[in-house]
Amino acid sequence: MIHMAGVSKIYSNGSVALSDISVAIDKGDFVFIVGPSGAGKSTFIKLLFREELPTSGELYVNGRNVAELEPSEVPYLRRGLGIVFQDFRLLPNKTVYENVAFAMEVIESPRREIQKRVHHVLDLVGLRHKARNYPGHLSGGEQQRVAIARAIVNNPTVVIADEPTGNLDPDTSWEIMKIFERINKAGTTMVMATHDKMVVDGMKRRVIAIEQGRIARDQEGGQYGYES
Amino acid sequence: MKVRTTEYFIREAFSSLRHNGLMSIASVSTVALSLLILGMFLIMVLNLNHMASTLESQVQISVYLQDNLKDQEIREVGTRITKIPGVVQVTFVDKDQALARFKQRLGEQQGLLAVLGDTNPLPNAFEVKVDKPERVKPAAQAVAQLKGVENARFGQEIIEQLFTLTKMVRLIGLALIVFLALAALFIISNTIRITVFARRKEIGIMKYVGATDAFIRWPFLIEGMILGFSGAVIAVVLLIEAYTLLTGQIYQKLVFLPLIPKYPFLTYVSILLIVAGTVIGALGSTISLKRFMKV
Repeated sequence: MIHMAGVSKIYSNGSVALSDISVAIDKGDFVFIVGPSGAGKSTFIKLLFREELPTSGELYVNGRNVAELEPSEVPYLRRGLGIVFQDFRLLPNKTVYENVAFAMEVIESPRREIQKRVHHVLDLVGLRHKARNYPGHLSGGEQQRVAIARAIVNNPTVVIADEPTGNLDPDTSWEIMKIFERINKAGTTMVMATHDKMVVDGMKRRVIAIEQGRIARDQEGGQYGYES
Repeated sequence: MKVRTTEYFIREAFSSLRHNGLMSIASVSTVALSLLILGMFLIMVLNLNHMASTLESQVQISVYLQDNLKDQEIREVGTRITKIPGVVQVTFVDKDQALARFKQRLGEQQGLLAVLGDTNPLPNAFEVKVDKPERVKPAAQAVAQLKGVENARFGQEIIEQLFTLTKMVRLIGLALIVFLALAALFIISNTIRITVFARRKEIGIMKYVGATDAFIRWPFLIEGMILGFSGAVIAVVLLIEAYTLLTGQIYQKLVFLPLIPKYPFLTYVSILLIVAGTVIGALGSTISLKRFMKV
């Protein structure tokens, strides 16, 4: 599903974000990427959806050679991925329904399918009753649930989340993790960069720790391992 | 492209036109102004050309005779003129007739002629018509060689002046048009830049969920084209009104001035301007998209 071999990323200002990373993430895995700030977690995540290109090494996502992907093929790579950010990135002038539907509209899905899918994923995150609300009227946790609904509405094979609970209180974080767990149980691969010790320790999933641009630890059922 | 998608693009384009109200108005006005001036020069140049060639095809040669010729000699000159190739009609105008016509042309101001007293300064003359415009000049030269002919004139000077004028108008017009087209391009690309900026969040999300670049660009392209098109329509309406008014005025006062009839002439000019406006709009937004949206 995700295959990295000898991947390095050096930014144009010379800073080395990742060096010689090799990792394989299989279909249906649930993986936490942990590590101190600035260790390369974000870069790791960004490589997956080709926000950044690796400087060297091999990178395959969903069978696509990301390192050598034509710019015109990037949209098709991303259609197989669902991306969730710390800051939700919802459109304030669209309703909850419209925010989620937007992800299907821009890839030109048929209208009838949009209605069906959007209602389905809003059910999944428990927000069907707020479909007509605007993001400004929702709590942070609700907003992140809308963002998750948007990320999964196109049936991605991998969901990538960058600090999805970073702006949320512990109880809400836990709710969000339960939703991710449900999505993962349905067969979707989860890759999540996080600082959240409680979440990582509570979930007991595979943990990949990145320190100074290298993989320091990769263990199943791992712990966060840092002071939070 | 799916109908539904097209609908979406157009809806998005209109919503950002509304959103940028003032900038949209400024863009449309600039395009309208540029195209109005373009249209004015175009109409002017085409009319001047038309006038020049109409006059050229209508010209007759005025042959002025020496003053002391006898009737016999005048008739001989007349016969010789008829034999010049291309000449189809020769009419004699004696001095009295010439004076009478001159008086008529002066109209209310014929009092001026009183200073002449009984003398008639006008010469006897022939009016010569030829079959083709390009034969006017050689025929006039041949007539001028004949014995008893003082000189032979045709509308050459006027025509040449008209052509010079046309050339000048064309040059000035071209410079102005280039300048104004650039101004229109600039302001449209600025408007689109503001739209792109206002929607950067939306554009970012579109990219993350896998919208293609073309899909992201279309609404902006349509917005630019609507701006250009609207400006062109305003310019066209103004031009048609102005031309109607002007031709009406001119026909009342200067009956002989050959102007190009309104239709289909204005239809062609309108189509040209509308196409030009739309292209400027599309170009303006393309420039902005290339520079400000790295997709």
